[in-house]
Formats: sequence, structure tokens, C-alpha cells
Amino acid sequence: MAHDAPTIAETLRRQGISRRGFLKFCATTASLMALPPSMVPAIAAALEKARRPSVIWLSFQECTGCTESLTRSHTPSIEGLILEQISLDYHHTLQAASGEAAEAAREAAMRENHGKYLLVVDGSIPLGNAGYSTIAGISNLDMLKETAAGAAAVIAVGSCAAYGGLPAALPNPTGAVPVSAIIKDKPVMNVPGCPPIPVVITGVLAHFLTFAALPELDDRGRPKVFYGESIHDRCYRRPFYDQGKFAETFDDEGARKGWCLFKLGCKGPVTYNACATTKWNQGVSFPIQSGHGCIGCSEPGFWDMGPLYKPLSMPIAPVQMMVGAAAAGGAIAGTAMAMRNRAAKKAAQAAHQKVTVDDLEKAK
Amino acid sequence: MSASFERGYNAFKEVLDAPIASFFSSCVHCGLCAEACLFYTETSDPKYTPIHKLEPLRRAWQQEYTVLGRLAKLVGLAKPVTDAELAEWSELVYDSCTLCGRCSMVCPVGNDIAYMVRKMREGMSAAGHAPEGLVTATKRAIQSGSPAGVKWATVEATIKRVQKEFGFEVPVNRENADYLVLMSSWEILNYPEYLGAVGRILNRAGATWTLAQDAYEATNSGIQIGASDLARELVGRIVGAAEQLKVKCVISPECGHAYTAIRWEGPNLMGRPFGFEVKHILEVLDDLRKAGKLKLKGTLDKPLTYHDPCQISRRGGVYEQPRTLLNQLAPQFREMHETGTLNWCCGGGGGVSANERAESLRLTSFKRKKAQIEELGVKTMVTACANCRVVMEEALEHYHMDIEMLGLTELVAEHLDEGKPNE
Repeated sequence: MAHDAPTIAETLRRQGISRRGFLKFCATTASLMALPPSMVPAIAAALEKARRPSVIWLSFQECTGCTESLTRSHTPSIEGLILEQISLDYHHTLQAASGEAAEAAREAAMRENHGKYLLVVDGSIPLGNAGYSTIAGISNLDMLKETAAGAAAVIAVGSCAAYGGLPAALPNPTGAVPVSAIIKDKPVMNVPGCPPIPVVITGVLAHFLTFAALPELDDRGRPKVFYGESIHDRCYRRPFYDQGKFAETFDDEGARKGWCLFKLGCKGPVTYNACATTKWNQGVSFPIQSGHGCIGCSEPGFWDMGPLYKPLSMPIAPVQMMVGAAAAGGAIAGTAMAMRNRAAKKAAQAAHQKVTVDDLEKAK
Repeated sequence: MSASFERGYNAFKEVLDAPIASFFSSCVHCGLCAEACLFYTETSDPKYTPIHKLEPLRRAWQQEYTVLGRLAKLVGLAKPVTDAELAEWSELVYDSCTLCGRCSMVCPVGNDIAYMVRKMREGMSAAGHAPEGLVTATKRAIQSGSPAGVKWATVEATIKRVQKEFGFEVPVNRENADYLVLMSSWEILNYPEYLGAVGRILNRAGATWTLAQDAYEATNSGIQIGASDLARELVGRIVGAAEQLKVKCVISPECGHAYTAIRWEGPNLMGRPFGFEVKHILEVLDDLRKAGKLKLKGTLDKPLTYHDPCQISRRGGVYEQPRTLLNQLAPQFREMHETGTLNWCCGGGGGVSANERAESLRLTSFKRKKAQIEELGVKTMVTACANCRVVMEEALEHYHMDIEMLGLTELVAEHLDEGKPNE
């Protein structure tokens, strides 16, 4: 467990990672987080000395996609090992224990590392009825409150934990809310995405271990270093957008030539994430590179922002009927008003008395 | 009959048209028009914000022609326009607006505020809130033919002087001439050299021209006071004379508002197109130059600048012609910082110069032009509007500024190449 665990550096070396490889990781992390190069030794020193931090991972209304993403995609990279080397004291999917033993592990970790452990949450919390989602008979809401009480910080992983996600999609039958709607007295960081990029988690973790604090967040609680720029601004297809070259269908000449996917519904212009720079699967590719537009999965409410394949500039709902009715109503009201005003003006013209030079002053 | 509030309010209802409705609806209350108005910039008094000068008209529009405004009026929530309010607004509409239209140029939503002030004056004059000076000028214009009281006898005296000085005959009531030459009272009284200059230039160009006994005065007090019935009568005199004499073109003199009156408002007042062209003298000069009929010699080699009369440059679109001529005549011609269609008014347009009540405000507003002249450092200023010239000469004297004023037409005539007759 955390108290008698070897340091991260020791573990890594035991896993066959050289010092050189370790330092490379530290440098990459520093550059990813937009930290100055002078910070690399600090990161290395901090990580070398750090004991495996205790992490409690709670999964609420979710699909386990976040876990799949974070634990598998980068294996066996150093990032993956860092994840493995944290003392993951409680995680439904990954832990061997079950039933009462599992809950006992959580309680033990909370007790032993009170005030120091990190709480990672994926999935949203139902407020509609406590019974919609329970673990070991404890409602998600109670478990979150109880576990967060002793946490140093809370990381909401994935769009569900960060913004409510698919469970909160209209009409939101379970009354799902994000972590930030419940936890107000602890630092909460959102790492949205469906799923989020693994390197964001490890980068944030490294930051936390080095500086004992969460990185700078934007107004939506996301680490600025990863969510500071839009997919669109960093997209390698951006020059085609600027030239007005668009793929009109998924199999036309434009699509084959790799032109901009805006007209096919790409949400890149309104999505802030690091996909276009860090990419996925160890930097192999990201959706736009694979020929599909961004669906904006890391933005709040992306699930209710209209069809995935309609361009951003198109209205979400079918509006023809409404527009037609409004136009007809407007035309009738406008005509009536115009006729009335015309009559009023005619009356004023009829009432006009020719102005002579004697009419320029009031009667004395 | 006499002026009354009811007649004034009825006139508001008459003049409110689609452009004004869309202007009022579009105003975003940004206040940019204030910074464009010399009455605001020189006094820093927010009441001189151009769009504010229209407040009673705006409320009349709202209460008479909009659904919510009518509803508010019906249930007594609207503040009605009153005679006392119009009396208060008289200063804003007449004294602090020269209809220069600079505010219309800067309005980000394209509201023509000058157009609205012009229309608002219809109601103001019908309600008896026009300033005394303008009322007197309008009466004189209707009754004696000129706002300054200039009668035909005075014109005849000027004709005699010109004939004696330049040795050519000034034709009067000549039929089928190319040009009918008009003058403003200022030119008849203060600057008779204008008639001499036009005559020499037209004679040299081989054009035929004439004066008309029934229509020598070009200015239109009816427009400045805002009484279309009177404006129509005044412009009708010119149209009548021009059509009777069957001239091809009427030349508006070096007077800004006269040009607006005849060229732009004229056909609308008459309700029909004219059977002749209307051109400003600067347009005629430039036409002659293009046709090779205006040969110039020598230059006026001293630093000088050009004051754009608002109605000619900004409202009339004649801003390239004077520059073409000046670039040819004056090697040291320099532009003021803000010029052309964004020039600053002399402060006396739109009837302000005829309005004694506005004198001190007019002199205050001149500080803007004064600063422009001082910034440039020239001692000579050319213009093409006798009213601008009179207003500025008076203000220059008031501020003890030693600046020489010249009319552009005279300057051209002085440099006319009269070597041998044309063809």
C-alpha cells in the first residue's frame, strides 16, 4: 500500500525503464504542460522522490470507456506505467477484490491517506432518485461526498463526470449532474472527453506530484495547457478551410484529397481539446486525420448540440415550418400595421394646411 | 392662420416616412454621432448629441406609428410631445445643427440624421418654433425675392459694375442659352467678382449664358426653416425661369445649401424631373476643363488649403473637382487633417448664419475649424460657398486670425488663359 511503497523512480527502474528514458518522459511532460525547460529537473526530482500516491477511482453512471482509454491505449508506455504505479487502491474494473473486501479497501485507503489521496471520478451522479445507481448499497451521491471529504483534489475524468455527459442528455431521465455540481469545497479539475486523452491524465498527475497542486484551469475547470486551443486552430486541415476547400461527402474528391470536413459536421471550431496535437494511440492519428469530423465530445452538452453530420452553421431543429408560420404571421401583422400607418399618414396629409409666410409665427 | 402646436405635430406625422422609421429602429445608441458634431465637440454638452436633437420626432414616430408606442399612448404610459418641449428643442434643431451631415457619415448603422433634422424642422416651423432670424429671412425671400432683401435693382447695379470692369455684356433673359447663372445674396452684395469670374470663364469657353430677372437668387430659406410649401415656391421660381428661357443647364453658385435646394430637394419638391440639368459651378468648371475649354496659366504659389462646403462635398459629392483644379493652380495646396466628405463645417450652414440667436454658439463651434487651420499653418483658405466664406471671415475676425479667404471660381478666373479666343 501507499505507506511502504517504493518511489516511482524505483518502480520504473525495476520495470526496465532507464534513467535516460525517465528523464525523456519528464522533459516531454514539461513541454506538454507548457512548463519552461528549467522545470525538467524539478519534475524528475519530484517524481523520483514521490511515493506512489494513493488514488481512489469511483465509477458512477458511465460506460467504462474512460478506464479503457486510460489503462490500455498507451501500454506499455511510461505514461501507462506511471498510471500503473500509482497506488490504485479502489477501482471497480481493475481491482481483484470484490464485495465487502473491495469496500474495505476503499475505507482503508481513505483512513490511511486522509487529506492526501487523489479522487478520480468517471461517470455522472444521478440526483433524480438515489436508487438509480448504487454501489454496495451506497448511492453514488453518498459515496462521492464521503470519499471526497478526505481527498486532496478531485479529478473528474470524462465528459460524464465533467459535464454530465450522455446520462444528462435531454431529457436527462436520472437527473444526472457532474462532480462539480456536488463538490464545492475541494479543487475539482475536469478532464472532459469521451474518452479523454490518456496523456492529459498522466501530465496532470505529474504536475500534481511535482507542485502538489492542480495545473491552471480555464473557466470550465479544464487544465489550460491541454484545452487552451480549439481543434480547428490546431487542425492540419485548417489551410483547406481557409482556402474554402471542403469535402461535401465522405467519398468525394475533396474527401480523398483530405480537405476540410466542416461541411460534414466537424465540430472542431467549437471544441477545445488536445487531439489535434497529442493525437491518439501513441500519436498515430485522431478522428479528423482518419477522415471523420470532430464530434466535439469534450464540450459541455455536445450530445444535445445537434446532428453530428450537420455543419455548425445549420440550424439544429427543423425550422422550415416555424419560419414559414412566423413569416406568414409577420407578413399579416406587418401588412395590417402598414395599412393602418398609411391611413394615419394620409390623414395627416389631408390635415395639412398650406404654410405661408404668415404661418411661421404663433398668433400674438 | 398662424403657427400652432397642432399644425406642427401634424407635420411630424406627415414627414415620418419609411427611412425615418428604419433609422429610429436601427439606432444602437452608440453616441458616435456626438463625436462627429462640432457643436458637441466644442462644448462637450451632451444635449448636442445629434440623435438627441430628434427626440420629440422620435417619440411622435413611436406613439403614432409603432404598435407598442400606440399601446403605451393608449394606456397613458407614453410621454406626449408638448409645445413647451418643442420650444426647448428649437435651439437644438436650429441653432446647433447646420445640416452638415457629418453625423450621418459616421453612424455605424447608416442613419441619415441630417435628413431627419431637415424633416423635423417642418414640424418645428409649423408649430412656430423657428428662430426669428430665419423667419425674417424666409419672409424676405418670399416677398422680395431674396433672404437678404436684395431686389433686381441691386442685381442690375452689380451687372453694371461687372460690365464696366470686364468689358463684356451680361446677358439677361436670353433664351436657349447653355447656362442659366444664379447667384446667392452674398455674391450679389459682397462678392460681385463671382459674376465677373463666371462670365469670363464661360465667354472664354465659348458657352452661351444668361441671368434671369425672375430667378437670380439661388438660396432657399424655405428649406432651411423647414417649410416645404415655401421651399417649393422658391425653387419653382428657378424652375419656371429655366424652362421659360429653355436653358440647358442651371448653374448653382458658390453656395452649398443652394445646391442641395435645387439639385437634390428641387425635383422632389416639384414632384417631377426637371427639363434641364443642375450643376454646381465647380462641376461646370471641371466639365470645361475636361473638354479642353478651360485653359489656365500661372499658379498661386503660396501655401493654401481648401475648405469643403458640407453641402457640396459631403452631401453633394463634389469633392474631386475642386482638388483637380487646385492641384493645377496651387503647387502648395495642402489638405487639412479631416477633409473631403469628413470635413468640419464652418458652423453657419443650414440657416444658422441667418439666426442671430445662434451667434455665440456659432463662434464657439468655429474653434474646430480654427484648430484645423492652425494645425496646418496656412494663411490662405479657398472655398466654394459664399455662406461658408462670410461665416468664416466673420469668425476669423472675431478670433483675430489673419487668414485670407478666396472663392475657387474667382481663383480660376484670375488664372484664365485669355491669350486668344477659343476656336
